[in-house]
Amino acid sequence: MRKQHAVSAAAGVAVSLLAGLAILAIQGYPVWQSYAALFSYSLFSQFALVSTLNKASTLVLTGASAAVGFGSNCVNLGQPGQFLLGAMAATALGIFLDLPSWAMLPTVIVAAAVAGAVWSGLAAFMRLRWKMNEFITTLMLNFVADGVTLWLISGPMLDRKAYSPMTAMTNPGAWLGMWNGLSGAVAVAAAALAAVWVIWNRSKFGYECRVMGHNPGFAAAGGCGVARNFTWAMLLSGAIAGLAGGLMVTGGMQHRFVKGIGANYAWDGVMIAIVAGNSMSGTALYALFFAALQTGAMGMELETAVPSEFALVLQAIVVLFVVASRESTRLILAGLAAKLKARRAARMLEAPGEGGGRHGSGD
Amino acid sequence: MAATDLAIELLRASVLAATPVLLAAVGGAYTYFANVFNIAMEGMMLIGAFTAVVGSYFARSWAVGLAAGVAGGLVAAALFVLFAVALRTDEFVTGTAINMLALGGTTYALRQMFGVRGAFMSSQIRALPRWDLPFGPVLGGHPFLVYMALVLTLLAEWHIRRTRFGMRLRAAGEDPKTLDAAGVSSSAMKAWSIMISGALCGLAGAYLSLGYVRLFSENMSNGRGWISLAAIILTRGRPLGILVMSLAFGLFDGMGMSLQGAGIPAQLTQMLPYVATLAALRIYSLRQKL
Repeated sequence: MRKQHAVSAAAGVAVSLLAGLAILAIQGYPVWQSYAALFSYSLFSQFALVSTLNKASTLVLTGASAAVGFGSNCVNLGQPGQFLLGAMAATALGIFLDLPSWAMLPTVIVAAAVAGAVWSGLAAFMRLRWKMNEFITTLMLNFVADGVTLWLISGPMLDRKAYSPMTAMTNPGAWLGMWNGLSGAVAVAAAALAAVWVIWNRSKFGYECRVMGHNPGFAAAGGCGVARNFTWAMLLSGAIAGLAGGLMVTGGMQHRFVKGIGANYAWDGVMIAIVAGNSMSGTALYALFFAALQTGAMGMELETAVPSEFALVLQAIVVLFVVASRESTRLILAGLAAKLKARRAARMLEAPGEGGGRHGSGD
Repeated sequence: MAATDLAIELLRASVLAATPVLLAAVGGAYTYFANVFNIAMEGMMLIGAFTAVVGSYFARSWAVGLAAGVAGGLVAAALFVLFAVALRTDEFVTGTAINMLALGGTTYALRQMFGVRGAFMSSQIRALPRWDLPFGPVLGGHPFLVYMALVLTLLAEWHIRRTRFGMRLRAAGEDPKTLDAAGVSSSAMKAWSIMISGALCGLAGAYLSLGYVRLFSENMSNGRGWISLAAIILTRGRPLGILVMSLAFGLFDGMGMSLQGAGIPAQLTQMLPYVATLAALRIYSLRQKL
């Protein structure tokens, strides 16, 4: 089953890369040169690899956030808002808090996760208490988070010296270190992913969540505390997205909340979870792949003038083709299995001799 | 005198803001009754807004722009049909991917075709004509798509509830196997509903970029497709109910703009329609319990 998964994923990725080639060729770009730049600028130098890993540290978290949500049958599409609130919490504490250095960073990072969890928890509350579908409420809450943070950075928290909406810089005590360009956020994200992997794959809570994701009716009948698990899954999902936002501030280059800080990270994460089928290891792999595409696209723009937004197009194509090929391989295999079974049944009916099948068709 | 002027201005703004939500949601009513989980409206609208600007710019004609907008919505819908209906990919997955493809694709094409980031505007883009209908100060003098949206809403109400097509559409949603057994392909009905939704989202997109402005900006649809989805869920797909919901949404959108004039920061007033949608969902959930 897992092998089948890998084969269809590889086929899907290959087909989408080919589709990308076709798009570039139609528009008259130098195709091979562009693709060569795409990969050399994302993988084949120390700087390229470091940039890819830094980007992947964000994507792996937004991806894990979506995977925890979707995998437990909670349609949390609130990652954009949870990410922004996490970033805002990290910024606000980073500016206004002055703790000894050993306490500063952990406080700021935990606060970011808590802020994300509060925002997703609000949607969970609306769902359980008021029966409001979390799919719509999380989407609407994104716009609220967007408005509130935008107001904060262009009004109360605006850095007067800046030309566009942004806050002042946080205290250096709230900065993660850098090693040869590699952000400390990579280490924190890796640790967080490992923790989520253990929760998801090795704990009773994670098991119950996965059962809820596969078959909610069975989960309820089997005695999982569905409402309780739903709440915790939403909180965990929001906390991871908030953490991603917080790391953007503590581990990035700017160390402040600038307008548009969320970019498309949250939605990229949603796509990563979908294409990884909500598995944590798959999320890590596709986060690296998407990060490589996005970093490489910058280099591609430099070399052959293809707009770097091409990466976004390619990502969506990858999602469509990988998921479609996964589903259609399953359908084709199921069809083959049914055909084989039918043939075997037909042979059994023929075996007892002429006419035997006609009367003995009780089963 | 000033107060009535203000009220008229507010109501005019509401009608303008309600129209794209109404157009998309009426299209979404078709997919709602065919039981298709259509979250791609946001993306189809965005693609429509972009292709409408492309058409209007290159042909220097609003009619070509409008047709291009519909064509853009239809192409996105065809993609949805290909993956979700023909290849049986999950509808949520397909819709999300199409939304992302729309966001990335329009941003990419904006730079590739016009060499700009953020927004593209030009005097060469032709806007939709305004109709000076004698409907009074609130309803008169809007882009003609506003009136077309009203007519289409009434048509859809009749089409879904009273015609053979509408009956088959609802059967495809409620009991696809029985419909198949009766000799009508439920997949074909689903495909039709998605295409209708795509065309109407294309119209909504064209209205956004050619209606009261003449420009395309990144992520121009800005959640209107999702508000349409909320309106559909709240009214269980009844086009006339959708009309009321869209007008309510438009009113909050317009109120946001008025409050901005009263000195409340724009970033906060822009949240109003989304908060109002949350409130509406809460009220709906109250009614459900009874």
